[in-house]
Amino acid sequence: MEEQKPPAARKSRLIVRLGSFLVSHSAFVSVICCVAGCITLLLLPVLAKNTYVSENALMPGSANPMFSNQDVVEANRFVKDIYETGILKDGSGMEIARLIGKHMEDVGAEVYYHKFKYRNLQFHPLCFFSSIPRTAVPQNSSACTLNGVSPVGIIRAPRGDGKESIVLVTPYNSENIKLNEALSLGLAYSVFSLLSRVVWLAKDIVWLAADSRYGEYTSVASWLKDYHNPTFSSDSGKIGIEMCFEKTENHVEEQSSFDGAAYDDFKRAGTMSAALVVKVMDKERSERDRVDIYAEASNGQMPNLDLINIVHYLAVHRQGLHVRVGTFGFLLNSALLKHVGKTLQRLTRLAESLNLGWKLGVNSADFVEGTATLASSMYYQALGVPTGPHGAFRDFQIDAITMELSPRTSLTNDNGISSFLLRSGRLIEGVIRSVNNLLEKFHQSFFLYFLTAPNKFVSVGVYMIAFALLVAPLPIVAAALFSSTANARSLTTISNNKPTNSKPVTRSGSWNWLHSAKLVFLVHLWALIVSLLPYFVSQIPHTNSTTSMLSWSLSSLLILYLLTRLTKSYVEGYQWEVLKSVMIAAASIGLSLMSIINFSTAQVGSILLVPMCLMVRPLKQPIQVPIFPAALLKILNILLAVVAFPPASLAILKGCLRGFESINIGDFWEWSEFLWVWNSATYLFVALVHLPCWYLCVHILLHN
Amino acid sequence: MASMTQRLKPSWRNHPISSHLLIFHLVMASTLLPSLTSAIPSFSSTMHNNNWAVLVCTSRFWFNYRHMANTLSLYRTVKRLGIPDERIILMLADDMACNSRNTYPAQVFNNENHQLNLYGDNVEVDYRGYEVTVENLLRVLTGRHESAVPRSKRLLSDEGSHILLYMTGHGGDEFLKFQDSEELQSHDLADAVKQMKEKHRFKELLIMVDTCQAATLFSQLHSPGVLAIGSSKKGENSYSHHLDSDIGVSVVDRFTFYTLAFFEKLNMYSNASLGSLFHSYNPNLLMSTAFYRMDLYQRPLDEVPVTNFFGSVMKTIHTDSPFRVISSQPKVKESIFLGDDKVKEIDKRNIKEKRCSFHLWMEFLQKKLVEKDDSDIIVMYGFGSMILLLIVSTWLSA
Repeated sequence: MEEQKPPAARKSRLIVRLGSFLVSHSAFVSVICCVAGCITLLLLPVLAKNTYVSENALMPGSANPMFSNQDVVEANRFVKDIYETGILKDGSGMEIARLIGKHMEDVGAEVYYHKFKYRNLQFHPLCFFSSIPRTAVPQNSSACTLNGVSPVGIIRAPRGDGKESIVLVTPYNSENIKLNEALSLGLAYSVFSLLSRVVWLAKDIVWLAADSRYGEYTSVASWLKDYHNPTFSSDSGKIGIEMCFEKTENHVEEQSSFDGAAYDDFKRAGTMSAALVVKVMDKERSERDRVDIYAEASNGQMPNLDLINIVHYLAVHRQGLHVRVGTFGFLLNSALLKHVGKTLQRLTRLAESLNLGWKLGVNSADFVEGTATLASSMYYQALGVPTGPHGAFRDFQIDAITMELSPRTSLTNDNGISSFLLRSGRLIEGVIRSVNNLLEKFHQSFFLYFLTAPNKFVSVGVYMIAFALLVAPLPIVAAALFSSTANARSLTTISNNKPTNSKPVTRSGSWNWLHSAKLVFLVHLWALIVSLLPYFVSQIPHTNSTTSMLSWSLSSLLILYLLTRLTKSYVEGYQWEVLKSVMIAAASIGLSLMSIINFSTAQVGSILLVPMCLMVRPLKQPIQVPIFPAALLKILNILLAVVAFPPASLAILKGCLRGFESINIGDFWEWSEFLWVWNSATYLFVALVHLPCWYLCVHILLHN
Repeated sequence: MASMTQRLKPSWRNHPISSHLLIFHLVMASTLLPSLTSAIPSFSSTMHNNNWAVLVCTSRFWFNYRHMANTLSLYRTVKRLGIPDERIILMLADDMACNSRNTYPAQVFNNENHQLNLYGDNVEVDYRGYEVTVENLLRVLTGRHESAVPRSKRLLSDEGSHILLYMTGHGGDEFLKFQDSEELQSHDLADAVKQMKEKHRFKELLIMVDTCQAATLFSQLHSPGVLAIGSSKKGENSYSHHLDSDIGVSVVDRFTFYTLAFFEKLNMYSNASLGSLFHSYNPNLLMSTAFYRMDLYQRPLDEVPVTNFFGSVMKTIHTDSPFRVISSQPKVKESIFLGDDKVKEIDKRNIKEKRCSFHLWMEFLQKKLVEKDDSDIIVMYGFGSMILLLIVSTWLSA
């Protein structure tokens, strides 16, 4: 930092001079950067580009669909069969599985039944990002009732090499089947039977009718895990599928021909190029049949944009469906957004009138809709929890989406359903044919993007700017604080030579930041312990979320108290400026690391964290500015300190969305439980970056 | 030679003189040969006497179906117009017919009406799959093969050959992509053509390229006798003509489609000129501008029939009876007995003989032979002169 002295600076290189210039104007730079970052974030919907199919090999819609009315008739017949079986026969739902398996076999597919055991997801602190370790689950004879059974059919490509496959998933609840689930099974069956007849298959087709009585995700995830981790153990602890059938079929006396052993071995079909989860839903009526696309997988991972592109292209331009992606509906009516949109529209008109070459074309309504969709996209990525069963595929680097198809008529309207099935079947066939053309795997288009509409996206190169602008002031301000305290101290030690402290080492030399670093380290250690506490808290039997939350917070406070008492002698003699500088450095490292793991989390977190870190200063410390800005700064500091406390921010968010009477003490516990159950890195961010940073800010605020 | 002597056997007894004469001629020719090969006749004097075609599809993958269909269509056309299979080097970078995505297994079509299967029974693919590389193309053009490469995979052209080089694939500014992994640059092409010229591997060469920015591929060429035509100029794309919605891919490119449309009207005996082919391209239909490079080519295009490159129509020399020697000139006789490739060589020799010092002596002998039937004496004279010749030549060389 000696380079900052004017004579040295003149000789030093340009980059050093530029750096020292930025550092010396840190307040101005940080204000500019933060404001610019927020504006860029707001402008992202304007900067969105239209999507395009980037991979040449896909060629969506180049072939005529072969899915015909005959297939629709077949689908309807199958739906009726399934639905009647589900309604008439009670029991463990094996009849439906068997019916599906039989139909799969009739079209010439290889069939087996995948059994899985429902395992409650738990918090495993030591294997956070890895999947849950495979433990030998003790199985008893009554395991059939605990097991879900998913029939799986594989069509081998007649002239393919059998090394690649496309997966079709239809979740259904085997215990209580609904008409919409029966319809999705019927739709998948008709497409499956069509695909068993075509000659153009290059990849095998796998149809997984996932038993979703314990949740859609669980069954798909356990099937995928078994698919990718072959077990070579013999029959120990395994039960044959025929046992399950025998139990239920004993009194029916017609299962003599059923050979269970043939359906037991797990069959595979090579690497999966893509997976489609198809669900028929009964949503609110609209003018056209509709398809909702869900793409977000765990930790903000997205499938390749090309997969969404081909679905969108085929749905809109071939089948005339209405495509939707997730949107925050409440933002659509936001007056503030509408106002911003109108202002932008006016500004761009003005710009266009100044220079006729510019074609900005910002529309206020589009802006509001784009912002609502972008916010939803960013929120679900930041949450890090998959939005559907497709999330299980992304954990194995397979591109997958969930398509929720909803007809424009009611599910019991035969004509409406027939035309709906025809369109949907053609859509699925088209997507499969397009993916079938793919060589190897999706690689051409984007993996890091936000959607602002089904056919508009913001790529990583654009949305990084906002985050970079927000984070850039952190190291600058840290350097500025550090250098100013170093200068001030050297000046004071020169002017009054008498030692003010018993330890001269702390007052001289540049190593005194170590004292602040010790405190920062201790706070991070505390945060680490706090993040691990839920593991022990969740072991306590007979608790609800409120008591768990209370025990969590009390034990955290106790540990904090113990830590501060134990280490009191180690963390003395720091200045709040140096402490702030070290804290900011730690926060910027944390944010940068998080942006690599889950960009959206870092982006959302930085909006709260960066202003709090930059503005914080002791409340009792007088500052040399007029009274009004000083008061404003104090109020903002207190406000941010309250808002940025994770439970408080959750409560405020919930209060805004659902009304303040719904707030509960246990909310934060439930929310964090939700996060760690899904292995979301957002939990780690909140516990290891956000919480210590917040604590240190409060510490500085109360410094005297 | 073996076949020649067999053929001669029936006439041996009836015409003893002719056999003697032939032996004499051959012996004379073989003695004179060393002194003759040193003088290579000037290039322009060589007649166009054979046709070759090198047809290259450079791109892989199912979605490039149309490139294979283009090449196979051209293959079919040149074969129909008379170039035999052994003079067509067909290079196909992928096998669409056997692709598992093909709705019509083992068939390739260039039109959505599916009238014409291009991948019929008698398609000889010389280089297929990963054999289609820049290196192999340059080897074929320049004739530098490893010794194990069979004759059927070589371009055995000579200085009387007209060669059609057709290439299709994905190209850019001064390059043509091969196999998704390497490129043929305009420099490489120009260099190969120059080597061919130096090695007298062609008389005239027509390079036809159907890629994006095809014209840029010709920018480095400067060997005489080369005519180049490309589907698009610099900065232009070449587009596919139509999509076959049964197969689910585009099946033919525009430039090739209209080239084929031109040729479908022709047969081997048509007199359509290259000029009329070149003028048949309509930029509105092609959606690109066909580019011709004619500055290296001497003949006016309106006088060159398209069958000079896209077919094999030779001028035939009529002879009354191929096996009689006496009735006609021996020069022609020889050319009939020997293979096509040898014809020219012996032609050269005969041209040379007229200027040779032994010529008068030989003419005298010949006259003797024809006038009087005292053939034994003539043969004796002949052997005598040969021995003299041998002595003189050994003395000279010693």
